[in-house]
Amino acid sequence: MPSVRDLRDRIKSLRNTQQITKAMKQVAGAKIRRAEAARKQAGPYAEAIFAMLKDLMDAVGAVDHPFLRPGKEGAPKGVILMTADKGLAGAFNANIVRAGDQFARDGASVVWYAVGNKARNAARRMSQETVYETALGAGTKLEVAKEVAAHVTDAFTAGQIGEIVLVSSRLVSMLTQRPEVRTLVPVAAEKAQAEPGPRALVEFAPSPEAVLTRLLPKYLEFTIFYAMLETEAAFFAAQLIAMTNATDNAGKLIDDLTLAMNKARQAAITKEMLEIVGGAEALSG
Amino acid sequence: MAKTVPFKLITPTAIAFEGEAELVIAVGTEGEEGILPSHAPFLTALRPGILRANVVENGTGKRLELATNEGFMQALPDGVTVLVDEALGRDDIDVSKARQDLTDARERQSSLAPQTPEYEREQAAIDYANARLTLAS
Repeated sequence: MPSVRDLRDRIKSLRNTQQITKAMKQVAGAKIRRAEAARKQAGPYAEAIFAMLKDLMDAVGAVDHPFLRPGKEGAPKGVILMTADKGLAGAFNANIVRAGDQFARDGASVVWYAVGNKARNAARRMSQETVYETALGAGTKLEVAKEVAAHVTDAFTAGQIGEIVLVSSRLVSMLTQRPEVRTLVPVAAEKAQAEPGPRALVEFAPSPEAVLTRLLPKYLEFTIFYAMLETEAAFFAAQLIAMTNATDNAGKLIDDLTLAMNKARQAAITKEMLEIVGGAEALSG
Repeated sequence: MAKTVPFKLITPTAIAFEGEAELVIAVGTEGEEGILPSHAPFLTALRPGILRANVVENGTGKRLELATNEGFMQALPDGVTVLVDEALGRDDIDVSKARQDLTDARERQSSLAPQTPEYEREQAAIDYANARLTLAS
């Protein structure tokens, strides 16, 4: 049985841990609000760019753009694996990495583009090749997104990769984050076959094809940017939950240990009293 | 005929402007494009440059001038929408950063072959830096 002193030390160290997890919980709570605000601010842009893309697709019907054609056959798939830079968020990063790994096992060969330090570490562990790495927090998100988009676009047009796939986290709700695997390029054909709306009569300068040539890369860039915002928000949500649980668990442990310590102390007192009583009886007897 | 048209300027991080405009001029890939109210439906890509608009705020006319990065402009019967990566007003421009961006981009571009996507990318960076410097000066 551990002594009172041992228990007291353990409780003390647990209290420290609890204080840290509590602080991290509060920080995550504040950061998630910021991340959510940033994601909301990107909303109007998302809506507008989707609408423009739809108008364009409606207007031109079949277009010849590399992004709309299947990529080079037999070429490996380029997978953008997107995680947070830091851990301490439960299984958040591990879940994303597992989704990416699963995808790589199911399909043909894969080339990794790692966004986020945890993705970088995971990609290095996995057997396939990593061609590009960046931290989620390197520079402003828009710059990082542009760079990632430029890399995958160049590789795709050069035929080094046959598909661009994004593995990132969806923030379903504050309590649920789900990793998601999406094929970004070739752009899904169903979009191209959308029914022509009344807005279809649009003039394009210089030509629909020329505008599309610029809009598609921008669309890819923005999708990556938006995924980064969402992954970050999901990360803080996961961290908030993990830290709340950790704080609660530490509290429970402290309660249990305090009870054990009190019992041990009481046992020691009882033992001492019995010894005194026994000693007195022996003397008087 | 309506004298103004709803005008929205959107960047990925914010709505830079939302209101009524009498005229919007942006630098398209084919040169400057001016949009007046009741313009035919229209969609074009924008090069980095200076976007000018005559906007009406609280009943008084105002000139809006912003250095904008690459983007798109769409005119529809219900309004004009401009999507750009970044839009900076005169006071938001960091001149030393713009100069630095200009030097960096020129240096990177000098080692690239013209007519390649990389070259065009650097050209856009140069144009954006120039637009910022022009507006700030």
